[in-house]
Amino acid sequence: MRHWGSETRYLLLSVAPGALCIVVFLVLPSVYLMGMAFLSNGPYGLPTLPLSLQAFRELAGFGFLGWSPGNLYTLLRSLWQTALATVLVIVIAYPAAYTIATRPVRWRAIMLLAVVVPSWTNQVIRSVGWMNILAPDTPVSNLAASLELTEAQMGLFPSQFAVIVGLVYNFLPFMVLPLYAAFERLDHSQVEAAQDLFAQPWAVFWHAVLPQTLPGLMAGTVLVAIPAFGMYVVTELLGGGKATMVGNLVARQFAQASNWPLGAAGAIIMIVMTLVGLRVLRRLGQRLGGDREVVL
Amino acid sequence: MTAPGLARGLRVFWWALMVFLYAPLAVVVFFSFNQINSSARFAGFSWQWYERLFANEVILSALGNTVILALTSSAIAVVIGGFLGYGLYRYRRWKLGWLIWLIYLPVVMPDIVFGIAEMTFFVTLSQYIALFTPGLTTMIIAHVTFQVPFVALLVNARLLSLDAQLFEVCQDLYATPLQRARYFIVPVLTPAIIASALLALTLSIDDFVISFFTAGPDSTTLPIYIWSAIKKGVTPEVNAMATLMIAGVIGVALLSLLIQPTTSATSSKRRSAS
Repeated sequence: MRHWGSETRYLLLSVAPGALCIVVFLVLPSVYLMGMAFLSNGPYGLPTLPLSLQAFRELAGFGFLGWSPGNLYTLLRSLWQTALATVLVIVIAYPAAYTIATRPVRWRAIMLLAVVVPSWTNQVIRSVGWMNILAPDTPVSNLAASLELTEAQMGLFPSQFAVIVGLVYNFLPFMVLPLYAAFERLDHSQVEAAQDLFAQPWAVFWHAVLPQTLPGLMAGTVLVAIPAFGMYVVTELLGGGKATMVGNLVARQFAQASNWPLGAAGAIIMIVMTLVGLRVLRRLGQRLGGDREVVL
Repeated sequence: MTAPGLARGLRVFWWALMVFLYAPLAVVVFFSFNQINSSARFAGFSWQWYERLFANEVILSALGNTVILALTSSAIAVVIGGFLGYGLYRYRRWKLGWLIWLIYLPVVMPDIVFGIAEMTFFVTLSQYIALFTPGLTTMIIAHVTFQVPFVALLVNARLLSLDAQLFEVCQDLYATPLQRARYFIVPVLTPAIIASALLALTLSIDDFVISFFTAGPDSTTLPIYIWSAIKKGVTPEVNAMATLMIAGVIGVALLSLLIQPTTSATSSKRRSAS
């Protein structure tokens, strides 16, 4: 009996500080923030009683001047930009991971490192880098202008294009790593079997390669799409108000616009959509044969 | 496409990817040495922006805050997270599923929601408890909260990769809990602890959003300073600051590789194998 007691004590001693830290400084504040969404907007943008659903009504677009689709557009834009960035990341990461996995072993670690190192720098700094490159009158901008992709002197930033570039740049490593792990474990006998059966190259890819890399692909999609949906820095710096996502809408209610209940309602939408997104991607991953270990 | 054609195509693709990945960083470093205030035209080499940087008291204090924040939060997170990872392993047959869920929460929570939730929480609390006035303390608390899960998961992964019988061996040799910790657990976990400390450091230096929302007027860090500076336009001074931070983070990262030669590739393999 005494032994059992000391076990419990050790468990509490080891687990409690960390668990408490997360409960007190993350769960509690989140619940507090979510509760704010059900209050009214007071005189200084601070929440006051009485309880109301006004914030959600405003979030849905009902304001003084009747209904406006602005917030709805922001939500749809967030989903669209997340999806576009994720697809582009997959298109770039897939051949990248394949390239790494087909090199001699001693090169692979260095190549992986080369892909990962930029993501170690600060998000703000990475955005500064793209601002330098895409600003008006830089070689890249001038090239785009001379190809008549943009108007002269406009530059490629700020724009939705710059935001998508920023998103792809930020999240690429998160897709390359799990895809590489999948390629590394690839069972080549399946590929050879397909080739022995005279399958066309695309058929080899479709029937022998793609199914084996799907778990990595799904894991990468979780790691890319979930944080991309919650992006704040890239849209704020590279979008210049043209490509705002839900995160920016929420932040604005706590800074310039000062409407905490509305911001809190937006935060609830973000949390709910993140959790739903995780669940959907996880289910999808399991159905497609992903092992639970890799998919979060 | 024929096989040699494919190989050549992939090689071209790889180098294009490297340009895409490193051009933004290279441009920042390059224009930080520009003689004129422009990031479109290079007029000649100069150290002047770095000299200005080190003469600017606000920037120096921001650098100090960044370092204090990173070191303090990492030190606390390694201790708390290390114990959490250990407890998670040691008592894994107890139903701790909810705990895993709790640990993943800071990882999946959007930064912006995390930051704003902490901000509203601290602003309210500070009316009653002065300790929670937005400033370095609140930033450290926020950083520890998002670092703890990563440390716990790394330490836990290392323990899971061990042979479980090793714990029984300690018992068979009549090791006291203290001896077991001193001669078995700590030495075995040292690489994981160092790796997680360096990860916690880079996470802290990398973070902008959570710092931004939990900071007070006197606790500006370098990323926050850069953020407010680029609202007025990217200058060579911003580039110089960014260059120093790039060098710092890459330095820490390379240090971690020297200490622990296992790269992310092999550690991810070990994790998926376990």
